[in-house]
Amino acid sequence: MPLAYALPSNLSPATVANTSSLLRIIALSLISGAAIASRLFAVINFESIIHEFDPWFNYRATRVLAEKGFYEFWNWFDPTAWYPLGRVVGGTIYPGLMATSGVIYNVLHALHLPVDIRNICVLLAPGFSALTAWSTYMFTKEMKDESAGLLAAAFIGIAPGYISRSVAGSYDNEAIAIFLLMFTFYCWIKALKTGSAFFGTLTALFYFYMVAAWGGYAFITNMIPLHALTLILMGRFSSRLYVAYSSWYAIGTLASMQVPFVGFQPVRTSEHMAALGVFGLLQIVAFAELVRTHVSSKHFQSILYGSVIVIGVLGALAFAGLTYKGWIAPWTGRFYSLWDTGYAKKYIPIIASVSEHQPTAWPSFFMDLQFLIFIFPAGVVLCFRELRDEHVFVIIYAVVASYFAGVMVRLMLTLTPVVCVAAAVAFSSLLDTYVDPVEPNVSNGAAPSAEADAAADSPASIPSTGSGATPTAPSKKAKKAVSADSSSSGLASGIVAAISPSGKGDKPRGIFGLDTRALVLVNALGMLLFFVLHCTYVTSSAYSSPSVVLASTNPDGSQHIIDDFREAYYWLRQNTPKDAVVMSWWDYGYQIAGMADRPTLVDNNTWNNTHIATVGKAMSSSEEVAYPILRKHDVDYVLVIFGGLIGYSGDDINKFLWMVRIAQGVWPDEIQEPNYFTPKGEYRIDDAAPPAMKNSLMYKMSYYRFADLFGGNQAVDRVRGQQVPKQGPTLDHLDEAFTSENWIVRIYQVKKEDPLGRDLKSANAFEQGKKRKKTKPLVRRKAVV
Amino acid sequence: MLLLPILALLSIPFCIAASTQSTHEKLVKLAAANNGVIKLDESTYNLLTSPKRNWSASIHFTALDPRRRCGPCKEFDPAFNAVAKAWTKVPEAERDSHFFATADFDNAMGVFQKLGLQTAPVVHIHPATEGPHRPASGRTTPIVYDFANGFDAGPLAEQLSQFTPVPIPYKAPFDWARIGTAVGVLLIVASGIRVLSPVLRSRWIWAAGVVLTSLIMTSGYMFVRIRGMPHTGGNGQWIAPGYQNQFGQETQFVSFIYGLLSAAFLMLILVTPYQTNPARQRLQIYLWSGVILVMFSVLISFFRVKNRGYPFKLLL
Repeated sequence: MPLAYALPSNLSPATVANTSSLLRIIALSLISGAAIASRLFAVINFESIIHEFDPWFNYRATRVLAEKGFYEFWNWFDPTAWYPLGRVVGGTIYPGLMATSGVIYNVLHALHLPVDIRNICVLLAPGFSALTAWSTYMFTKEMKDESAGLLAAAFIGIAPGYISRSVAGSYDNEAIAIFLLMFTFYCWIKALKTGSAFFGTLTALFYFYMVAAWGGYAFITNMIPLHALTLILMGRFSSRLYVAYSSWYAIGTLASMQVPFVGFQPVRTSEHMAALGVFGLLQIVAFAELVRTHVSSKHFQSILYGSVIVIGVLGALAFAGLTYKGWIAPWTGRFYSLWDTGYAKKYIPIIASVSEHQPTAWPSFFMDLQFLIFIFPAGVVLCFRELRDEHVFVIIYAVVASYFAGVMVRLMLTLTPVVCVAAAVAFSSLLDTYVDPVEPNVSNGAAPSAEADAAADSPASIPSTGSGATPTAPSKKAKKAVSADSSSSGLASGIVAAISPSGKGDKPRGIFGLDTRALVLVNALGMLLFFVLHCTYVTSSAYSSPSVVLASTNPDGSQHIIDDFREAYYWLRQNTPKDAVVMSWWDYGYQIAGMADRPTLVDNNTWNNTHIATVGKAMSSSEEVAYPILRKHDVDYVLVIFGGLIGYSGDDINKFLWMVRIAQGVWPDEIQEPNYFTPKGEYRIDDAAPPAMKNSLMYKMSYYRFADLFGGNQAVDRVRGQQVPKQGPTLDHLDEAFTSENWIVRIYQVKKEDPLGRDLKSANAFEQGKKRKKTKPLVRRKAVV
Repeated sequence: MLLLPILALLSIPFCIAASTQSTHEKLVKLAAANNGVIKLDESTYNLLTSPKRNWSASIHFTALDPRRRCGPCKEFDPAFNAVAKAWTKVPEAERDSHFFATADFDNAMGVFQKLGLQTAPVVHIHPATEGPHRPASGRTTPIVYDFANGFDAGPLAEQLSQFTPVPIPYKAPFDWARIGTAVGVLLIVASGIRVLSPVLRSRWIWAAGVVLTSLIMTSGYMFVRIRGMPHTGGNGQWIAPGYQNQFGQETQFVSFIYGLLSAAFLMLILVTPYQTNPARQRLQIYLWSGVILVMFSVLISFFRVKNRGYPFKLLL
């Protein structure tokens, strides 16, 4: 058999195997290092700080866990959140993340390594990303081989789609959840392949961990049954499937019910019914199979199949009936909005208002996955070519996840692993084909089938066939000479050969020449290199901002840090009484609780829509209407985010319409969205702003004294690009208490009722009248001097 | 001799009372004549919205004449009429205390001018000013219906029910056509299962479906659908400006490029190795490598249009 290039012939198979395993270990550790390192941009550019919003709550909860122990944490009732309602924290969270950090903290302290809990929280996500890379390696190894596994690990280690949720400081549930997702899937595939109850149990245990860590566990709860169901429909029922599924379902469901937040949901809600239904179906099918092996009558068998179908249909009807009767809760809104995409906007504006619940445009896909996004369909086709049980899993995962990622930006996170796996399968197949030195025999009519089999069977990744073969690269002339035009060398027959199930191809396959190999390999390596550059660029520029601290560049190119949020939160912490209630839009609830340590009305755990609508109503109605609401809720300070001065676009005026919309959902006859638009339907804040807008508390608090800042010049709002009226709004019921350096955070103190019983407006007018008289003589005296 | 004027004077209050009553009767007649919707012109508009009214009214302003080119008007009109028709089914006592009316621009131009309406369709809800149905808040100014939930009849009925004495008994018409199609398709599939089974069992049919689905989904199809983006922008522009934005045609273009690149890779992996003629194989490999390089460059340059800050580029 001719070879395209020489291979060392004096290596024993054992040496090759040992070297390759050593190389694998080194490669995996380097990949882990790269995965961790590329997530540290945020720490290097800024500091070791918790990012964004939700992580602040997780961090606060973890601190309670580390300081007071697990039982205190479990029973923690937080009276400062959702004032005056409070929140039962232990029963309303997924504790997996905090428990993981707590365990790491305790282990390190037991080893006398006094690491601060904050640093554990900041670095947890990068650490787990290394584990994700490893579990993706294990998963892909089951799909193809080790080399595909290494590629998949490298891809997921640096793919921006996963980095976006796991940079250092992004201390959120997703940080550990993707590792758990991939490892659970790996265990499931392993259990299915071996039919071992041990791996089934392992799947269940990691499933339990996942349930404790992330609400997205429902993805696993539905993926595994879907896979099992597809296998049954394909006629691939086996005792391996039965053992794997039954052990996973029984143990996993019982375990998941131990998480208080989940409770009896696995038997009471529609999201979990697919798993239960497939479990039942498997029992029936297994029973039918058992009976079939003992009964030979053809007639009886057909009755058996009929009864299986009838029982299945009856079961489905029973589920429908139970749902109708209300015994099984129907799909929750969050879930339902994935199918009926208009649902959330109509009925749950709070979900639709979150930016990460928006649909995904194609540049986001390309930004997050670059060349993986177009190689991944090729990998799916390769899975179809082999179509073992585990390949069916990847195929289902690919379809489901690409739909979900298209509907919600946030679910890009679940798409990324399968894209990496499928792309790695395709890419390593490409490399295998073109690295393999074996050249096929030049066609001359019919190739001897014995040689063809040898060529097809020769291992691609571990070249050990070199013994004795003389490497010859046939010259071009020789090839041309033999280019006998046989019918078997056409493109069409090539495709036919390609789509026949692999391993049984009776045609020789291989690549001629070195230049062809070099071309394809250089092309491939170039793409990989480009991918690395792309990922580094995207990670450093787009995904490494803590959003608590903002950065801008000075004219000379140096970095300017905008630290208004922390400035304002620390002002609250140091200048207000400990029980002063702060009202703000829900986005900032967790940050105020975490950094300022003050009670808040609403926060990012958006469980009570009415309470949020109350805040929305206070913000969007006039002072006279809002004041009683503020007083009834004991509000001492109101905090607004205003970006008009420096052009920070994520401010409250831009979110204002959602406040109006959510308030309108509860008080439709008091708050109406069209009133906040001009008659032409524009959203204006300048002179043409509609009266409802101009009188709203939010508008007044945002633009109070803003025009004064421009010293008589025309004041311009840099976010909206509109001119602010010179005569700014006045406030009668609130006092400006604090405004941060760049005016991003503005805090107002709510006045107490007037001691003389007047309403605050007339009291204010009275005071102002008096002041004017006092100041006049002063000015005159100054003028004389 | 003086008796007559005195009588007349005495009867003025009765006349006024009678006139409001007669107005009400007139409105009831008008409504009954046209499936529960009163066709308004200026005078009937003034009757319906007279400041002393013990009825409430939902007035729909529209411009149905084709010359006005109001697409949304045509879309919304059936919904309003359906809700009005549903209202005719409630008992008479409640029915006659709320009216549905339509004012077309070409019949009631003066009303549009008076109200300063620039756009259509618009729905105003006038609460009753007197009588038992006067709202507790005492509000008499019209409420503008919010079209945030679209032009469907369901949300309209739901929202209007807050202002009517009893909820509007509107039920979405049963979609027989849809059920019929579903059953028909099911029957065809069931009857043709023998013919179809080789198709359903063919893995490559499934593969094509799966790959097409993921290609379309990953090129932003759902974004276009959910946001209702147009196929192309006005003035022949087909690339939507901005990173988080796209038109329908971009989905086609991007999924085509993705598909081509994917196919090129598959050709290199699966098909060319089976080519037993060295020269042809070399040609194929050069061809597909070239396709990959060029199409990837096109894709990158397209991405640079969307994301101006992107620093990398290939050939283009």
